[in-house]
Amino acid sequence: MRSERGQALVEAIVLGLLLIIPLVWLLTVLADVHRSALAVTAGARDAGGRAARATSVGAAGRAVDAAVAEALAGHGLDPSKARVRWSAPPGFRRGGAVEVEVSYSVPVLGAPFLGSVSSPSVWVRGRHVARIDLYRSREP
Amino acid sequence: MLNQRGSATIESVFAMVFVLILALGAVQVAFALYARNVVASSAHEAARAAVERGRSEAEARGVALAVIRRAAGGVVRDATIGVTRETRGGEVVVGVGVDARLESLGPFPASIPVRVRAVASGELEVP
Repeated sequence: MRSERGQALVEAIVLGLLLIIPLVWLLTVLADVHRSALAVTAGARDAGGRAARATSVGAAGRAVDAAVAEALAGHGLDPSKARVRWSAPPGFRRGGAVEVEVSYSVPVLGAPFLGSVSSPSVWVRGRHVARIDLYRSREP
Repeated sequence: MLNQRGSATIESVFAMVFVLILALGAVQVAFALYARNVVASSAHEAARAAVERGRSEAEARGVALAVIRRAAGGVVRDATIGVTRETRGGEVVVGVGVDARLESLGPFPASIPVRVRAVASGELEVP
């Protein structure tokens, strides 16, 4: 009869590795989601604040683009992959609400050294509403 | 024939210890990834604060350290923060770089260096 000594240990090692590899993969995906959530909320907040203090609609648009790009780049994300949607009241009326929404797609099948498969992905969104400055000087 | 009484128990104990070490290693990876995100966020918050509120470089460093301490104080060590401020065409541009070490909170002794840099710009405040 063949000895079965050590077989349980080998089984446990194989089973442990089978469990741990997907777990570590899942952790990296969750970390990417966390990082993206931090980036989009910071981007939306910064963009809303800067747009609310802008001197015109054009300046507000430039401020939104710049703020979102800085926030995403600062968190190590590609700003060109973000979707930015923002709105302001007609005539950029003082006291009106500026709403900024920043979305970023996080691929959930990103494998180390292999890049990411095209889908599926998780969309992370950040939204901020700010009030246009009541007393800020305007462009003539 | 050799007596095998008790060998299954010993094997089970070894196996459980092995799986436990792997699980704690996964927790260690999770802490490291979380702390890296916090450090990146701290650099951005510091740069933004320095631009938005006209704060000094020292205050920007304080913001970064406060974010790190509150969110990941037990994991991030030896944080060194560099702040640069320059003016470009009517805008102030603040760059914040954070160098730190992520401490090991698991079974594998490792100290992972992390280096991030964030830039924020805003209107130059007229005194």
